Amino acid sequence: MTDVPSNPAPAKSRAEIEKQPRGGELVIPGAAIAFSLYYFSTILDSPWTAQVSAFFIGAVLILLSLVFMVRTWIELQRGKASLRFTSLVNRTDLSSGRLGLFAITLGYILLIDWAGFTITTYFFLFFSMLLLNRGRKAGFAAALSAIMALGGYALFILAFDTRFPEGPFEIFMKAALNNGG
Amino acid sequence: MTFSWKPTRREFLGGTAAVAGAAAVGVAPFASAFGASYPDRNLKVIIPTREGGGADRNFRAFSGIWKKYLKTKFEPRFYPGASGRVGYEVYMGKNEPDAYSLIFGNMGPELLNWVVKEPESFKVSDYLYFGRVDTDPGCVFVGRKSKFTSIDQIVAEAKKRTLTVGTSRMAHPASIGILYLGEKTGAKFNLIPLSGGKNTVAGAVTGEVDLSVLTSGTVAAKRKSVRTLLVFDDKNKLGERLDNAPTINDHFGTDLPPMLSSRAFGIHKAAVDKYPDRFAVLQATFKKVFTDPDFKAAVKKAKGNWEYINYGGVEECAAYSKSIMKIGARYKSLLSGKS
Amino acid sequence: MEADLGFLIGLFGHTLTFWWVIIPTIFLGLVVGAIPGFSAANTIIILLPLTLAMDVEVGLIFMVSLYCSSRMGAGIPAILVNIPGTAGAAATPLDGYPMTKQGRSQQALSMSFVASAFGGLLTTILAIIAMPVLAEVGYYMHSVEMIVVMLFGISLIASIAARDMLKGLIAGFLGLMIGSIGTDVVYATPRGTMGFLELYDGVPLIPALVGLFAVSEAFIIIEKKSIVTDEGREIMAAPSWAATFEGAAIAFRHWWHITWNSIIGLIIGVIPGAGASIASFVAYQQSRTYSKTPHLYGTGHPEGLIAPESANNGVTSGTLIPLLILGIPGGATAAIMLIVLQYHGVNFGPSLFFDQPELAYGVFTAMAITYLLMIFTILPLSRYMSRVTLVSTTYMAPMIIAFTLVGSFVSREYMFDMYLGLVFGVIGYIARRTNYHVAAILIGVILGPLLETYFLRALKKSEGDLMVLFSSSLGNILWLVLIASLLMPMVLGFRRRRAVANTQAGT
Repeated sequence: MTDVPSNPAPAKSRAEIEKQPRGGELVIPGAAIAFSLYYFSTILDSPWTAQVSAFFIGAVLILLSLVFMVRTWIELQRGKASLRFTSLVNRTDLSSGRLGLFAITLGYILLIDWAGFTITTYFFLFFSMLLLNRGRKAGFAAALSAIMALGGYALFILAFDTRFPEGPFEIFMKAALNNGG
Repeated sequence: MTFSWKPTRREFLGGTAAVAGAAAVGVAPFASAFGASYPDRNLKVIIPTREGGGADRNFRAFSGIWKKYLKTKFEPRFYPGASGRVGYEVYMGKNEPDAYSLIFGNMGPELLNWVVKEPESFKVSDYLYFGRVDTDPGCVFVGRKSKFTSIDQIVAEAKKRTLTVGTSRMAHPASIGILYLGEKTGAKFNLIPLSGGKNTVAGAVTGEVDLSVLTSGTVAAKRKSVRTLLVFDDKNKLGERLDNAPTINDHFGTDLPPMLSSRAFGIHKAAVDKYPDRFAVLQATFKKVFTDPDFKAAVKKAKGNWEYINYGGVEECAAYSKSIMKIGARYKSLLSGKS
Repeated sequence: MEADLGFLIGLFGHTLTFWWVIIPTIFLGLVVGAIPGFSAANTIIILLPLTLAMDVEVGLIFMVSLYCSSRMGAGIPAILVNIPGTAGAAATPLDGYPMTKQGRSQQALSMSFVASAFGGLLTTILAIIAMPVLAEVGYYMHSVEMIVVMLFGISLIASIAARDMLKGLIAGFLGLMIGSIGTDVVYATPRGTMGFLELYDGVPLIPALVGLFAVSEAFIIIEKKSIVTDEGREIMAAPSWAATFEGAAIAFRHWWHITWNSIIGLIIGVIPGAGASIASFVAYQQSRTYSKTPHLYGTGHPEGLIAPESANNGVTSGTLIPLLILGIPGGATAAIMLIVLQYHGVNFGPSLFFDQPELAYGVFTAMAITYLLMIFTILPLSRYMSRVTLVSTTYMAPMIIAFTLVGSFVSREYMFDMYLGLVFGVIGYIARRTNYHVAAILIGVILGPLLETYFLRALKKSEGDLMVLFSSSLGNILWLVLIASLLMPMVLGFRRRRAVANTQAGT
């Protein structure tokens, strides 16, 4: 995600506070230009069929993004906007647990390959519920997470035979079911 | 209104490759003759096309019988994309060369891919085809409602104006067949790739293109909607089912080698070198399938063409590879869009 | 291809005796439809051993009911939690989710059920009657005509973007650019794949859908206790059947809307290659263009929900027509049905109607009965399903993230797709926070590759001559309709403003 500019000192003029924080809105056009240019670089010596549509779409996208940037620049000149990123990232993101939840989600995907579907899903659900609840109702979260993870196991792996990464739990269950059946 | 199924969930999910192999009851005491315990687990098979396509059907019919000689199950995995390139990259890059994973491809179009552009992460010689299942020649066909009723009419028209020709993909033996016909007769053809057999048939039937070329096995299955006009083989083996269409060499006095699509199992070269005993088991059991009466029944049941089933080992596959890559090289610029 | 009424009624009665297959299948279909990543197509594949073991009649009825009910199921999470279950339901949350936020999810669900079921039922009956005519549609809709149809769908971006046109267009074109990732359709050269093999076949739709709608939404909703507004919670505090009836009544009052949009779906469904997502975008766009209240679209307007839901169910009967008549499946589910039925020795093509009319027409009677039974089985559920939205976001957000990311894995079974779901989640999150419309991005991702395919096909056929776009008379008529539909809102808006000005001047 984007860098968070440390919020400047609280003493600010009224006009400054009312300025539209346009910094965040520039992220998408900026990324769009960068991606289009990268895309162009991959098709430079391709046959025309690979190029025609992409060059057209990319050119329009770059043009639109530049127009947006110019529009923002004019607003800046007129003092109607600032380049702050507060619309995208601000302090509530930390207090609401959003950044924490993002970290847990990333951990979920990284670990699922290694610890298997059921266990990883359980810990993901449990920790993120705990985080969002600020540590309260841990017992309920644990029970709900267990039901959900086991339900997911029953639906995705047992019923639909989906090839999720296997971990200790899946391997154990497979052995148990094979012996039992 | 009867429930003809009563197995437990595990039983019927266990054997996903059950389409044709449902009849696999008698197990021949064959593989054990090799002493070694190979295979002691399931064999993974990478299929570089979409689930539900022609390769899928062909694979299910074949593996349903092969599994009883090999005494193991097959797990098909489908990796479509980029005309089959993705499947090969996945097979070579992400599977151990231990003879527990195979690739089931269509030699013709997929070797032509390498002619157009070398694979990215491996060399073509890093794998080899060892088990050919069928040889399916390309053919030229039109929709039933088309004004063309013979190949001569098409050639005559294509000398006046460029005709559009639907094809499954540019780099395909059937595409080469029609380019060759154009070269020999002076007819002008413009290849339009329609991605896959289903769309290629649809293109000809709906009139999106003037005519289409495709492997004839697929075309024969759709014979009520299409009319076959020419076959790229030495003989029209399906006769009536391909509207008794003439072969290119008979009709035009040319000497084009058969333009075959050919489904075959391939394996890492490294696995062959490292585990010659395992490779021997694969080869021997593979060959057994062709004389099994259940296999013929399975092919018929899956609406396949028994006439095209054609055993081939390492040598036959190598000879085929060499010839298709040689002729592909001649048409490289037309197939790749680069001159 | 004739079938007299007596035969059809007899067949109808016969199919009805299979209620014991249809009703459980309806519930299975609702579940698989509602989980992103699952669809009727991959469920039939998963259950292939079962389907093949069934008697051909039971198998056919099973597949048809699964197909219809999964289509309806995909709309449920779209309305309740802003997550379309399949790409075909991607236009459903545009107005469905705002209704949920206002505490009207029960109405929205029953409205969507009625619209889906009646749209589906109506088009099924139309399909039986008009089969010979509809089968011809495919003969006229070639690449050039399809380009215009795609543009109809894409023009929806412009209406969604009405509030800030520039940002809306940036979002839409970014989607189109992302949709261009993958190998080109003619020579299979990889483009913009960043070296990932997993992107060679194009950007997979499920992770895009899951990321843009679900994951990003989950990160947004945690700010509040519930996704329903405080006023909405008050409305929902006293649950009653009244809301279900109210929703159904609203839908019935829009019977003409249902009819019209389901026919759009039917016609688009008949065209090989086109599908539910295009139909629902086109329907939404048309509905908005000709509406008396276009400004209400996107705020929880019943018409905006009814249009896509009746259209995507119209597609269901449409895709089966080319399958039955030409043996050419109109979509993925139809293709798999073809394989199963061929295994049972069914030969498709015009002769099917003479050889096995009970099978050919049986497909449609099964569909009609499924839709009829669905109304009675699902409508009562709306009352209970809508309670889901009252679950605290503390529990809802983690569950949405976990199960939708899992869903992005399921469709191709690539770990990569889970990462991709998260990447799209980040894109969607940034877009939401900075007021770019995620639906506009998604339309681009879905329709971009289709448009490119038809465009290249047309250009390849003409050997690069752009004038090919105007070379067919049907295509030219469609172009005019497209231009008219783009100009219409402006003209109507202008006239409305002038009327207002006149009244003000008069007073």
